[in-house]
Amino acid sequence: MNDVTRDNAPQAPAEREREVETLLPPVDIFEDDNALHLIADMPGVTRESLHIEVDGNVLSLEGDVRLEMPEGLTAIYAEVRAQRYARRFTLSHEIDAEAIQARIDNGVVELVLPRKETHRRRRIEVKAA
Amino acid sequence: MFGDLRRFDSGRLQGLDWFRQLMDEMLPEAGVADIRSVPRGSFPMINVGRTDDAVRVYVFAAGLAADELEVSLQDNVLSVSGRRESEAAREEASERTEFRRERFQGEFSRSLALPEGLDIERAEARFRDGVCEVVLPKREELKPRRIAIQAA
Repeated sequence: MNDVTRDNAPQAPAEREREVETLLPPVDIFEDDNALHLIADMPGVTRESLHIEVDGNVLSLEGDVRLEMPEGLTAIYAEVRAQRYARRFTLSHEIDAEAIQARIDNGVVELVLPRKETHRRRRIEVKAA
Repeated sequence: MFGDLRRFDSGRLQGLDWFRQLMDEMLPEAGVADIRSVPRGSFPMINVGRTDDAVRVYVFAAGLAADELEVSLQDNVLSVSGRRESEAAREEASERTEFRRERFQGEFSRSLALPEGLDIERAEARFRDGVCEVVLPKREELKPRRIAIQAA
């Protein structure tokens, strides 16, 4: 009976490798007739350290904070507690992933996600009966 | 600066402490807060680090140009203020639907008390990629000094 009651759950490893901590950048998202627009705050990210990827229908926005920090700098107060931004969104099929444009300026990333030609918003006229 | 933020963390907490830490992180901070502190996640976020020579303040203010941020020092208090207009608002508000507006807009002002012993006259500020770095050198006599231990 001891075998039945013995805890068979795998032991959690004592030293768990710390996952990379990331920050969630705040975003503004809006849509007009032709495209979806996404604006993200990623201060400290440069053109070189910004990575934007579309895999299937998942848009990944990642960026490393690049600050020039001297050797031996220790934190005495930190609200920004990680060195990397990451956020993901699922896109719908009418977005033309090939035509996504991105721009970064002063730590603000702007993405334009155009709709496929065939899916542009069209007004449907309501005719009087 | 980022590498040693967790230097005192001792790994995964045992027993039910992990749950307490989870709740602490989710719920508003209890206990004693600094008098000039702001709610978590306020814009702009600030980090302060130090080396042997100086204290460095990093202000994470994306989207601002160097002349849109006002940095001032008085009586050992560093103040950072300015105004940010949202790009989303600047574009002609034609027919469009907004799904999220998480980015801060409007006026902001933050202050923090600095440690003693900084040479205010020699402070410098640099702005790049949305981060403003303010360097405040320490006064000579207050830099850390090794004390030689002599055999008694």
